Amino acid sequence: MSGLKQRRMLGGIAVQITALLVGLTIIFPIIYGILGAFKSPAEFSAYPPSFWPKSFAYTQNFQDAFARVPFLRYGLNSLIVALIGTTARLLFAVLAAFAFAFYDFRFKKTLFLVILATMMLPGDTLLVTNYLTVSRLGLLNSYLGMAITSFVGATQMFMLRQSFLTFPRDLKEAGQIDGCGDLRFLATILLPISKPVLVTLSVQSFVTLWNAYLWPLLVTNSTNMRTIQVGITMITSFEDTNYHLVLAGVTLSLIPAFLLFIVLRRNIHRNMTAGALVG
Amino acid sequence: MSEVQPIQLPLARGSLMRKAKPYLFILPILVFAVGFIYYPFFKTFLFSFSTVNAKGVITGFAGLDNFNYLFSRRDFKIALENTLKITAINVPVTVLITMGLALLANKKRRLSPVYETMFTLPMAIAMSAAAMIFKVLLNPTVGYLNYALGLDFGWYQSRDYALYGILMLTVWMGIGFDFLLFLSAFRAVPEQLIEAGIMDGAGWLSRFFKIQLPLISPTILYVTLTNMVLAMMVSGPVIILTQGGPARSTTTLIFMMYNSGYGSANYSLSACISLVAFALTFALALLAFYVERKRVHYQ
Repeated sequence: MSGLKQRRMLGGIAVQITALLVGLTIIFPIIYGILGAFKSPAEFSAYPPSFWPKSFAYTQNFQDAFARVPFLRYGLNSLIVALIGTTARLLFAVLAAFAFAFYDFRFKKTLFLVILATMMLPGDTLLVTNYLTVSRLGLLNSYLGMAITSFVGATQMFMLRQSFLTFPRDLKEAGQIDGCGDLRFLATILLPISKPVLVTLSVQSFVTLWNAYLWPLLVTNSTNMRTIQVGITMITSFEDTNYHLVLAGVTLSLIPAFLLFIVLRRNIHRNMTAGALVG
Repeated sequence: MSEVQPIQLPLARGSLMRKAKPYLFILPILVFAVGFIYYPFFKTFLFSFSTVNAKGVITGFAGLDNFNYLFSRRDFKIALENTLKITAINVPVTVLITMGLALLANKKRRLSPVYETMFTLPMAIAMSAAAMIFKVLLNPTVGYLNYALGLDFGWYQSRDYALYGILMLTVWMGIGFDFLLFLSAFRAVPEQLIEAGIMDGAGWLSRFFKIQLPLISPTILYVTLTNMVLAMMVSGPVIILTQGGPARSTTTLIFMMYNSGYGSANYSLSACISLVAFALTFALALLAFYVERKRVHYQ
């Protein structure tokens, strides 16, 4: 009996060590990228290539990267676009979910399907025609132009509706009799109760928008309006491969999404996987 | 019972405003869904059968000319081949890797939080940041990968390997989320079923194939579908890393669409490519559903 136990324990340790090694392999590119940000140009061109930087006190790359491209401005642009997009997407999704969960009206099912079916049209295939629309609206090189295509969150609407449906309907009726208006009910009762879902969906939207590349690239051409994800690819060029600066920029760009991810990992983990199978 | 009844607002107070309310709530999302999803789709459809000038204005009806022109182009065949190749490799490789990771992490152990975080971390990394890291990591001279593996070709500089260099990146980017999906699917398999399997003397392999695999098949379908769509749409890594080269070896459909629309203002051609990519993706998704149906039926 104790022999079996011991074997189980040893097996468990072996599995954990294997998992750690596999995990290290998976995050190797990230570690490599961050370490590279601390390497001097000389260390970079040396052969054989080094894994560890000589010193973590070497911060010249970050300073040079800041001097070369307006990083703070890029970060601010990304932040604004991500906030506009997340706010509008969540607001519209909340309103629609509220209607679908608590009202009965004609064409309810059809409208619901019309919104859900947007998930079947991959955004990438619509890039060029959306570019024409945004350009015609005069929104090139604007925050609104960068955020506007992300305002429709069918997945978010669906998950919020699911969450709202769990709210006992007679409680809402009771509130109504007490003179609690619809929007007040939504703002003071329903939303606070749905906070966990809202937080997850917001973080998810924020990270997606913060990380977006193709659309912001398409609709901006002035240096001042570039987002950080577009900016970091522009530090390098064919003639001039400043890998040490690139990695410094990349490392800086990782920080916000990274922090959000680590802090909210459990929350995201639970809610994302719960929602993913329906979305 | 009154609580299962949908709320009927009293008609006495039912002014026009009351009736209009739910529609007003839906209006914003609907306006943007129409404006930035349905309208561009419709327009893409229209463009593909029209002649369109460089300003994006339709100047005439073209019938099937645009499609004929597209299908006769050699670079379209290459782009189609590359895209299908990426999909054919990316999907099964991602499913196998993430399923394997989920099996490895399935049982909760002391270090679970550590390696679960490691497995999910790639999903926090932006595509462009990941692409730039891979650009350095896979560089033939300064990169660490070739040195560590003793290779001497440039992944993104060689026409034979560039597509695999792109694939390495796309597979890596998909690891985090799909691992989470499989992990929760495996953990949702009832413990008693596994134990019953052990009691019946079923080995590790037959427990996996007879008990776990059928129960997680919806997740397999979901991961397959989402990866299919992502793989069919690959373009960002191509724009950043290779610009479709060398010698068109990494040109994908969406990259070609982007290039001919945004780059050369050939909007009708771009619309045709977009429709082809959409139709193929849709067909592949239907196929996946069909296979899944059939498999479940014969069980």
